[in-house]
Amino acid sequence: MNIADNQQNNRDEYSRLLSEVQKIRGISIWRDVWMRIRKNGAAMLSLAFLLVLGLVAFLAPVLPLQSPQYQDMVKRQLLAPNVSQISLYKTSVAEYQRELDLLYERSRKWSEYASISRLYDDVAKTRTIWIEARDEIDHRFSNQSVETSEILQSDNSVPNRVQRYFEQFKAKRIQLQEQVSRSSDGQNILKLKETIESWEANHPIHALWSNSGTLTRWMLECRLRFVGDWCIPSVLGTDNLGRDVLSRVIWGARISLIVGIVATLVSLVIGVSYGAISGYCGGWVDALMMRIVDVIYSVPFIFVVIFMITIVKEEQLASWLKSHGIDQITVFFLMIGAIYWLTMARVVRGQVISLKQEPFVDAARVVGASRIRIVFQHLVPNVMGVVIVYLTLTIPQVMRFEAFLSFLGLGVEPPAVSWGLLVNEGIQVITPVRTYWWLVVYPGIALALTLFGLSFLGDGLRDAFDPRMKNK
Amino acid sequence: MSNRIRKSYPLFLLLMIVMGLGYAVNLGQLEPAEFTFNNGAEIKTVDPALATGAPEGRIINGLFEGLLRNLPSTDKAEANGTVPMRPATQGMAESYSVSEDGTVYTFHIRQNVLWSNGDPFTAHDMEWSWMRMLHPETASEYVYQLYYVKGADRYNKGELNTGDRVEIELANRANAQQLFPRGTIRRGVFSKIGYWNPDTKIITDTAPESGISWTKVFFVDVFPEKNGQVRWDATPRAMAYVMHNASKGNLPEMIEGRPVETCHHVLVDFKSSVGILAIDDQTFRVQLKSRTTYFPDLVAFYPLYPVHRPTIEKYGSPGWTKPGNLVCNGPFLLQFRRIRDRLRMIKNARYWNAKQVELNSIDALSVQSETTSLNMYVNGQIDWSTTVPNMVIPDLRKRDDFKSAPMLTTYFYRFNVNRKPLDQVRVRRALNMAIDKKKIVEQVTKAGNVPARSFVPPGIDNYNSARGDIFDVSKARQLLAEAGFPGGRNFPAIRILFNTSDMHKDIAQVIQQDWKEHLGVNVQLENYEWRTFLATLSQKDYEVARSGWIGDYPDPNTFLDMFVTDGANNQTNWSNARYDELIEQAKFEPDYQKRLGLLTEAEQILMDEQPIIPIYFYVSKNLVQPHILGFSSNVQDVHPLHILKIDNQQFSTRDQ
Amino acid sequence: MLRILVTRLGWMVLTFWVVYTLTFMLMHAVPGGPFDSERRVSEEIKRNLEAKYNLDKPWIEQYLLMLEGIVLRGDFGPSIRLSDYSVNEVIAQGFPVSAALGIFAMVFALSLGLSAGVLSAMFRGSLLDLSFRVLATLGIAVPNFVLASVAVILFSFVLQWFPSAGWGSLKQIVLPALCLGAPFAGYIARLTRTGMLEVLGQDYIRTAYAKGLSTRQVVLKHALRGAMLPVVSYLGPATAAILTGSLVLEKIFALPGMGSHFVEAALQRDYPMAMGMVMVYTGLLFVMNTLVDISYGIIDPRVDME
Repeated sequence: MNIADNQQNNRDEYSRLLSEVQKIRGISIWRDVWMRIRKNGAAMLSLAFLLVLGLVAFLAPVLPLQSPQYQDMVKRQLLAPNVSQISLYKTSVAEYQRELDLLYERSRKWSEYASISRLYDDVAKTRTIWIEARDEIDHRFSNQSVETSEILQSDNSVPNRVQRYFEQFKAKRIQLQEQVSRSSDGQNILKLKETIESWEANHPIHALWSNSGTLTRWMLECRLRFVGDWCIPSVLGTDNLGRDVLSRVIWGARISLIVGIVATLVSLVIGVSYGAISGYCGGWVDALMMRIVDVIYSVPFIFVVIFMITIVKEEQLASWLKSHGIDQITVFFLMIGAIYWLTMARVVRGQVISLKQEPFVDAARVVGASRIRIVFQHLVPNVMGVVIVYLTLTIPQVMRFEAFLSFLGLGVEPPAVSWGLLVNEGIQVITPVRTYWWLVVYPGIALALTLFGLSFLGDGLRDAFDPRMKNK
Repeated sequence: MSNRIRKSYPLFLLLMIVMGLGYAVNLGQLEPAEFTFNNGAEIKTVDPALATGAPEGRIINGLFEGLLRNLPSTDKAEANGTVPMRPATQGMAESYSVSEDGTVYTFHIRQNVLWSNGDPFTAHDMEWSWMRMLHPETASEYVYQLYYVKGADRYNKGELNTGDRVEIELANRANAQQLFPRGTIRRGVFSKIGYWNPDTKIITDTAPESGISWTKVFFVDVFPEKNGQVRWDATPRAMAYVMHNASKGNLPEMIEGRPVETCHHVLVDFKSSVGILAIDDQTFRVQLKSRTTYFPDLVAFYPLYPVHRPTIEKYGSPGWTKPGNLVCNGPFLLQFRRIRDRLRMIKNARYWNAKQVELNSIDALSVQSETTSLNMYVNGQIDWSTTVPNMVIPDLRKRDDFKSAPMLTTYFYRFNVNRKPLDQVRVRRALNMAIDKKKIVEQVTKAGNVPARSFVPPGIDNYNSARGDIFDVSKARQLLAEAGFPGGRNFPAIRILFNTSDMHKDIAQVIQQDWKEHLGVNVQLENYEWRTFLATLSQKDYEVARSGWIGDYPDPNTFLDMFVTDGANNQTNWSNARYDELIEQAKFEPDYQKRLGLLTEAEQILMDEQPIIPIYFYVSKNLVQPHILGFSSNVQDVHPLHILKIDNQQFSTRDQ
Repeated sequence: MLRILVTRLGWMVLTFWVVYTLTFMLMHAVPGGPFDSERRVSEEIKRNLEAKYNLDKPWIEQYLLMLEGIVLRGDFGPSIRLSDYSVNEVIAQGFPVSAALGIFAMVFALSLGLSAGVLSAMFRGSLLDLSFRVLATLGIAVPNFVLASVAVILFSFVLQWFPSAGWGSLKQIVLPALCLGAPFAGYIARLTRTGMLEVLGQDYIRTAYAKGLSTRQVVLKHALRGAMLPVVSYLGPATAAILTGSLVLEKIFALPGMGSHFVEAALQRDYPMAMGMVMVYTGLLFVMNTLVDISYGIIDPRVDME
């Protein structure tokens, strides 16, 4: 074998090696985490649960639920959970439907007579007829056996009525809008627009789902259109105002989850950067930054909260905020986030202080990495494990803080619901004399399951993030 | 870091833990009192002149005693379960007489009644106590209960007119922070107020514009005193007085030829201008501005109870209220207080009627949570719970130990009549008629409350309440349509304000739904924390607001004089000249029945114009263990402790 | 060491001043005042009341007067709401109650949380681990007022072991301390478990094993020390939260602690009381944070105290 051959062989060998090396793709950390977390049963289960919960919460408006704020204290107050209602419910629907159709026919005729020029009166009349129709239904059913009327009242009546009215409403609105587009008279357009506005204010959906946002309303419209007026009976019972617990729990999830997640993310962003910088810089910067944290810590947040909420409620400011699309709940998120970043900052700082004396930091420094790069590229990923655990601790804390604020009357306002609010209401009725357990148990289970899920997911993530756990 | 510190650190932590444990174990067991009740909240004070609430009233009624005492008038309950309370001569006064025109009350103090330290109780104690209450520096909130007395409001408000006899308290108190003992008192005739400008050294008769610092100067002609008597016939000395804490920059020694002195107060002379006088030790006379038929009720009301002068002068305020310092004249003594825990009272052996008092010791707990209170009651830790959670009332109402009776308290909504469209009477009436109050009391409050058609609750003798509108949906719709809002169309967005409470929230939600369903009117609910709520209310920054009113004394006036034009508690911007006139007439009407007639007429105006929606009348909610005797319900929800007794037989059988 | 303490003291004074100023401004900016009540008092009476508590003076003067009282006499002044007491007296009565309750809760939380966390980490993935984690999550997940309500029904009505409320005997501390400590026990267990797992993967643990030490020795002498760090750093805020955040429990169990004073003073605009509570809270936090920092240095030799 001559030298040339040998060289040739070596070259082949190297190029083969090179091509082999090139074939190896670095796996991104997220992919890595995903691959490892997939093997963790509890974490995957939790993830699935949380995703389903999030989906259910998001889709609450399209689900066939009762209105979370429709009250009927006469017939539905504090009904215990009862599954057997379902079968009873079905039998009476058809009959009920016929009655309603008859009444609806009558009201529809009215609107046919009404001409566009007499729009104002027409709107009022239709509405009055609608109300009369409802009263008539109430009257008609009040003489029936308690059982039947209770079921009718509880599970079907209002959404059904609303749907009828809603269709009528829709037609009228289209008609109005056509008018606007066809009209050339400025005065007339203005008048018509005003009419549309007042129509909007009286939208039937407002009556049952409060003044919901555009998306929610659109979803509600979809639900009424496709799922129809059928809704799940009160399988989880009703509260002291006769509201359906099931729908309140699901609607409550929306606010609770959003508060928990958004506020925690706010706290994450502030806390991690603040803590990492403080811990890495050390010295007087660290001392100063930590003292600032101490100072903020020691400010009584309850004052801050009262202060902020009163200010936000101030009429002028409230309308200004509203015009910029900021509602009270947003301020709420920011406020809670701004309170909870402190602990995060401290924990991250503590970790960074320990970590920065590790050799890999020195190595990075030797290679010439900038301070910012060291902090955010090398230190922060290494504290992610602890941060994620803290995150899963913070979300429950935030949720409970929200409950605490509701307790003080500074939380979400009715008719909005949150789990904290529900649990707080439920707790009032745990007494040695009488316990309406379903008012606290169901929201409590919802809250507990969510936090369970978060915690197991957090553990799984922590393990997955930890490079030292690799291949174990 | 030295090793020694490092080693000792865990020890230090351990020490802290042991200290905590030691403290907790050291708490020891407290001997339970014979009778324990939950007072609801930590009381603000035991000082009668400064107290305001019902919990304070329960304690002060135990520790102190007024000239008269509210006691159950009969043994038999009325149809609604109440036993009327009447001011009885079972207090410091043995008897009293009223002059023909109803303006002079003469009280005859019981012989040989003592303070708890053995001092005799005299009419001078009464005079001094009421003077203290009226003094502006005492800052009593209930002081307006004495405004019926001649000259009392002027003394309290510091009003002065030229020619008034005045008292000047010189700035020579031993302790400037304490009102008592007071500095030297000079008496004289007030001539005018001047304003001294330290920059220009000019004194003017009217207050200079704001922004300029000036000192208020009182010009008084002071009369000499001899043997404690003012010689009003002697030649006065012209003096000028300035407040002790005023900025005295460059103040000359003489102003307009008058020597300048510093003082604490210049007030109308109490002795000669206010109708409160101790004629001798046993006789106490009160001169009222006009006939006030319910004056005995006020005298039996706890803010007007006497206090012990030497104690207050010795310890000052609030030092005199400390257990050990406190000297009182009621059936019980203050043994100890633990903030937000309990207040222990023991029997006062020097009480004039001590042999009638059966309880030897009483604990008043300050448990705020209604549920906790119920727990403690069911557990037998307390014998009387003054309130219960609403949710369990339907269950409790079946029980004998639940005592519920109508109260002189109204739950109502205020309208801000300056806000459109609530400026229209038709709108207000429509909103009222669309509320199903029966549903509220039956399904929400559940305590057996009565839906309100009038503002004044039933239960006041001989008074016929006005009649407001009833629940009538079609009429309401019609009225709203007439007002220009057929079917609720174009009705502006309005808000219902309420302070944080589940009950208020539930009621507001029901009303919200009633208005929406019946009238097509959309309202928003706004939930405010209590102080913010009150501030918003008083700034009248609201459309509709929840309110409640507890009658101070069993007379319609306590409810109706709220709504006179610009009354402090009106807060609705509502004003009606005829209404004001009727309330004013009623004040001076000597004939009792006629007076009530005038008040009914006024209430009818209130109900017709509807600046408020009365919703329901409260009921009291007391849970009392069966072995407690002598407990009876009444419209004031006042329950004297010293007439309670323990049925020992029943008590012991319960334990078995 | 002395230098650290002196510097710390300097920071403490500054912190107090900043907190004082901030609190003062916030208090007076929030609408409503201490003398607002449903039964409105007339302007004259209100003026008398305000004069009594110096509230009629300009803000700056009130600010200085209050500051002077605190700095020169250590006196927060009289409470407006509990007018028989000075704020100092209220603190003197409320603090020991809160402290006793807090120490009990903390001892419970620490002993339970640490041991559960260590065991969990050592038997990672076992049934024991799972059940501890479920319990810990339960502790965190269930709001303590729900826990308290259930505990009252269970322990004082069904089992009749403890009284349902009140303060005065050791028996009465047990239930509230358990309910107060439960979420903290949960946190500590989780933090310990996480820290422990982290540490167990480190090289020096392998070295320790290699030296032939028993598992018990490795865990208790070497691993626990490192695993404690996140727990220690959590203790500072946790202590303060225990002392003040127990409002709900104080309400449910009718305990005369400081938590309820703190919130009620804010809600009732009892300015001197609120200020007193805030300052006590500040002081406590400061002390706890200093202790935490010192502990850091003691537990982890790598941390440079200077």
